Amino acid sequence: MTSHRDDRRSALARLVAAGIGLITAGLAGLVGVVAAPRSSGPSKRWRRALSVFDLGTKGPTTAVLAERHADGWYETRRESVVFIDREGDGYRALSAICQHLGCRVHWDDTKQQFRCPCHGGVYDREGRVVAGPPPRGLERLAVRVNPQTSDIEVEL
Amino acid sequence: MSGRLAALLDWLDDRTGFRVINHHLLDEPLPPGTGWWFTLGSVLLFGMGVQIVTGIALALYYAPTPDHAWDSVRFITTVIPAGQFLRGLHHWGASVVVVAAVLHLSRVVFFGSYRKPREANWVVGFILLHIILAFGLTGYLLPWDQRAYWATVVAINISKLTPFLGETVASLLRGGPDIGALTLTRWYAIHVLVLPPVLVGLIAVHLYLMRRQGISGPIRARAGTPRPFFPYQAGRDLVVAIAVGALLAALAWKGAPALEAPADPTSSDYVPRPEWYFLGLFQLLKYFPGRLEVIGALILPGVVMTILALLPWIDRGSSREWRSRRGLLAVFTAGLAGVATLTLLGAMDRPRNASTGWNIRELAGAVLMTADNRCTRCHTADGIAAPIEAGHIARPADWLAAHVADPEMIAPGLRAAPDTNQRDTAAIVAALARMRADAPPAVDAATGHLDVLVNRSCLGCHVIDGVGGKEGPELSTVGRKYDAASIERRIINPVNVKPDAQMPAFGGKLAPDDIRATAAWLASRK
Repeated sequence: MTSHRDDRRSALARLVAAGIGLITAGLAGLVGVVAAPRSSGPSKRWRRALSVFDLGTKGPTTAVLAERHADGWYETRRESVVFIDREGDGYRALSAICQHLGCRVHWDDTKQQFRCPCHGGVYDREGRVVAGPPPRGLERLAVRVNPQTSDIEVEL
Repeated sequence: MSGRLAALLDWLDDRTGFRVINHHLLDEPLPPGTGWWFTLGSVLLFGMGVQIVTGIALALYYAPTPDHAWDSVRFITTVIPAGQFLRGLHHWGASVVVVAAVLHLSRVVFFGSYRKPREANWVVGFILLHIILAFGLTGYLLPWDQRAYWATVVAINISKLTPFLGETVASLLRGGPDIGALTLTRWYAIHVLVLPPVLVGLIAVHLYLMRRQGISGPIRARAGTPRPFFPYQAGRDLVVAIAVGALLAALAWKGAPALEAPADPTSSDYVPRPEWYFLGLFQLLKYFPGRLEVIGALILPGVVMTILALLPWIDRGSSREWRSRRGLLAVFTAGLAGVATLTLLGAMDRPRNASTGWNIRELAGAVLMTADNRCTRCHTADGIAAPIEAGHIARPADWLAAHVADPEMIAPGLRAAPDTNQRDTAAIVAALARMRADAPPAVDAATGHLDVLVNRSCLGCHVIDGVGGKEGPELSTVGRKYDAASIERRIINPVNVKPDAQMPAFGGKLAPDDIRATAAWLASRK
């Protein structure tokens, strides 16, 4: 008799524990869905960098591409810097992000090199590593000229 | 149970002694006859657990600043997966907690469970009820929409009625001279940093005292052997919690009530209303006008609450039978009925926030915004600025006016200032203000042209539908007085009709077709 009662009790105990477990799992699942980090922004698209007529002759020309940037509920403007240069009959676009740790490189006119202010990374005009810690050259971006507007566009 | 798991648990028990604690927490012997009525406390605990979990999830995205609170709540409900459901759970969960608290309290009163030796625990429960209401009050402000803002204005103004200390209490609640950023951060801090630990601490005391004195059990003790809390009473608790949870999920499935327009301290026509569990108090105020208001706002609720707090000392008999407590139960029931009636009356006395059509200035503004890509040059889906959407306008009117007159105020080089004049700017600002709440109606090109024309040429001196200058006579119903031909003559040159007219002649300034259309439109206003 007692053992029969004990059986019932332990069966009920398991049922209740399972019920509590289910509720907890449900809430945990909801929090998991909600707390999952937001994915990154929109994919790449062609964006205007500058007009071919604005391209300098001595070195790469710096173009600042500004766009609206949704940062969750916050909206801001994000600026990307690219260097546009002539290359043969076409153009070359290099990202200004140093491949070492993500600082922004600048063009040194006298040395004719890209230099990173953070850890001394140095790249040549084509973006190849010349000195310092960067593991690879500056990222080359796809570039094209819009025949209607004579704008140089990069895919970013 | 597999041998390894058992071994692990044995090891854990050896090092921590968790089985003794478990046994102490779960195997409390309950008096025979402890039934479904005794699940209400656990339901309350369940509801508060849901509030804590959903509150933490909401806090991952919420930003307590006037500039961003509304945007962040909108982000939660429109972008975050299950965000609308989450906010619904937290919103309706607050109601579940309040209802469960009142039911739990009523159960304690009807069962006479507050009697000696449980007086201290009654007082702890009484304080917990107020902590719960404080959660409701502070949480209501956080979405920072019109409803939140104006309900808080009312709540803070009520606090000013506090005798002698009114302004001090109000300024403590506001955190600054006005209700604004400082109020929002203060209420947020109270809601998420102050109240939760107090709540958890008091619940711990409440449960400790419950265990120390044992639960009161049925009114008339029954024969039989006590049964442990787990799993018997816990099973009942679980069944009721699942039922309440299902109801809560069903309510939350439809989401929380939609966000209203962002808080606008300058709006004069908003009729504020509190959340339903404060509606009784809100209604009570209406019966105590003027200097008597303090009675309805503070004295009466204060007296009722004091009596409630002192209940174990007012009713000190030894029998828990209803027979011996008829008077007290009658008063308590009448009190509950009174609160319910006031709440119901408050709910029915619902002044509609008047929804009127767009006036001519707002219509003109909506037309001007899209004309010549004035706004849409930048404000497009993939443009440098966000599209202008109804319900998503949060900037104050003065900022909008400056930006409309000179878009470059945000950043130089965006675009040259478009040709504008004060009346066009005023119209666009009016349309944007209106778009905080609803989208502009569609109008055809001819009507739109006329709207802009009337706003520019007539509203400077004449009132139409409540907007415009006061120099000239109102034109809202001018068609009752004059026909189109007569109005046209007046517009071309008023002196022709009335020699001492102050109004300038528009004959050479506007195209004849425009004058004719304007006259016809005015004549149609009856």
